[in-house]
Amino acid sequence: MRTFIYLAILMVMSLFLPALGAAEGDYTFDLSETEKKPYHFGGYVEFKPVLFGLDHDSAFYKLRYFNDPQGQTLSEANGKVQLEGSYEKESYRVYVKTNTDLKYSSQDGSSEHSVFYEAYGSLKPSLSLKIDVGKKTLKWGKGYAWSPVAFVDRPKDPDEPEQAMEGFIMATTDYIRSFEGPLKTFSFTPVILPVYDHINDEFGNNNKLNFAGRFYFLIYDTDIDLMFMTGGSRPDHYGVDFSRNITTNFEIHGEYAYIRNARKTILDAVGKMSAMEADAQSYLVGFRHLTAFDLTTIVEYYHNGAGFSDNELENYFAFVNRAYDIYQSTGKAASMASAKSLADGAYGRSSAGENYLYVRFSQKEPLDILYFTPSLTLNMNLDDRSYSLTPELLYTGFTNWELRFRTSFIAGARNTEFGEKQNDYRIEFRVGYYF
Amino acid sequence: MLKIIMVALSLLVAIPAYALDGTALLKQIDRNLNPESFESYRKLINIEPDGKKKEYTLFTVKKGVDKVASVFLAPASEKGRSTLRLGDNMWFYIPNVGKPIRITSLQSVVGGVFNNSDILQLDYAAEYDVEKAEEKGGEYLLYLKAKTKTVAYDRLKIWADKGKMLPTKIECLTEANMLIKTLYFKDHKDFGGGIVRPAVIETDSPLYKNYKSILMYAKVKQRTFKDEIFTLTFMSNLESLR
Repeated sequence: MRTFIYLAILMVMSLFLPALGAAEGDYTFDLSETEKKPYHFGGYVEFKPVLFGLDHDSAFYKLRYFNDPQGQTLSEANGKVQLEGSYEKESYRVYVKTNTDLKYSSQDGSSEHSVFYEAYGSLKPSLSLKIDVGKKTLKWGKGYAWSPVAFVDRPKDPDEPEQAMEGFIMATTDYIRSFEGPLKTFSFTPVILPVYDHINDEFGNNNKLNFAGRFYFLIYDTDIDLMFMTGGSRPDHYGVDFSRNITTNFEIHGEYAYIRNARKTILDAVGKMSAMEADAQSYLVGFRHLTAFDLTTIVEYYHNGAGFSDNELENYFAFVNRAYDIYQSTGKAASMASAKSLADGAYGRSSAGENYLYVRFSQKEPLDILYFTPSLTLNMNLDDRSYSLTPELLYTGFTNWELRFRTSFIAGARNTEFGEKQNDYRIEFRVGYYF
Repeated sequence: MLKIIMVALSLLVAIPAYALDGTALLKQIDRNLNPESFESYRKLINIEPDGKKKEYTLFTVKKGVDKVASVFLAPASEKGRSTLRLGDNMWFYIPNVGKPIRITSLQSVVGGVFNNSDILQLDYAAEYDVEKAEEKGGEYLLYLKAKTKTVAYDRLKIWADKGKMLPTKIECLTEANMLIKTLYFKDHKDFGGGIVRPAVIETDSPLYKNYKSILMYAKVKQRTFKDEIFTLTFMSNLESLR
């Protein structure tokens, strides 16, 4: 709790810094602002209180609180501290980014989790060639909410697609060539990703050296990527993506991923577990449109070929409900434990189903309120028609500050993906400060 | 014979009046504003009606008629964000998002009166044709029409100082001649290397009443770049060019 108090004091003190700047009457361009230093240090702190409206009948509520019942709501205070630093000399550069997540709730007390998001060294022998070794995120793909071709990244959270993510330890190179003519740019990004004890061991099968690569082309004003991943830690992946402006204010994009021998564990109607292995195809199509009055619309359809059908999800929820009934009547928690372990795997993942629709409207600076952006986001499982609907207000008018108020309504019938989530709604206020 | 001499003489006298080559004037204005390939530092200040300011510092590189890239150096919330323009294609890179996304010329990555095409300005002659050129006292007035529909403003009216051949004012208009914004070029400064240009551009807009944006230039200097710098893959490394 003390950490939260320090965090709050730091943020309140920082709030006065932009006010001091604003008091100056005229404007100047101090050349010292343009001087480059070999090192850089910066960061981001965030304070985010959240109120959850719990759904006591949902499968994920039962899984989490079967032996510790809660009231109608649950409050939580979250904090985040991200520090980043770099040092550059000639063609060498070292970059480090850490992330610390803090959580406090009256129920669970406080917890802290720190990790290096990125930590790598770069060598740039020429402007066309860069070699990076260390922990890094690559963020392949053109999708906003999902990226099925991001083979060497952690899965994106469609609720926070713009949030920084933890990388993997790898060696990678960027080789770039430019041309005159229809093909304007070509680049190649090979990746070596080892998976051994304590090195990327959460990526997949152990003791494997994985290879991945991306070929990028800017041809006829269209971005096209071809990518692959092989090596044994995960099934072989092959993919392609594209992005293009049809008109100035209308962009289309798409991704396609082919996964050989994709594996998943499913439950049948009586709760019998079995492993399935089959080729899978995942794809995404979407567009981004901007009106003359600054309304941005993002629409994406995502097919998750390795996801669970609505029947498979229903079987899982039925399994949880049976396990809960057993616990209620006998006090035995063994079935709940196995249901929980499945939830920690694929069943509990965000976007665990097969077909999704994502729609986001954001209106920049309505009513001439500078730096103010309200938005509305829908994320729907198209198979069972369950969804989350998230209105949001964002204000970035104070230098280096970001204030966001957001409510999510999570709705769906029983035995549907969003209907069985732990919460019916969540209300959060996020204050972020960059330094 | 006398008739021929008279006609020839009258043509000689008349030629200067019809010789106002708007395209050549525009190209000259472009070159006087910036070398064809150059680097610069810019500070963008948005000023709200109550005097509240928000400032951004950018490092910008440009090559030829259709390649320009910028990276934000300040404030901390924007640091590392970069923009790239290759002709009509524009991308925006946010370090947290980690990959470039396509943007449009009408959007504004900073908010306020300046939009992306102001920040990633190409040569005017690359995007506009001169429809008409006039002399107005000590200034030229050029009427420009966008070459394609992808340009942010369909029409421009440029007032340029005859002696310096630099703009003093630019009005940005819609196809129906509705005023979107006005740019005022001020504070002529010698940046060295033969570059003498306005160091300050003030902007106001009837769409943002009582708001003002200011763009200040520093360290404008000629520099040549490899084409590979103006690529999506290089966007995350733009700051290394400083």
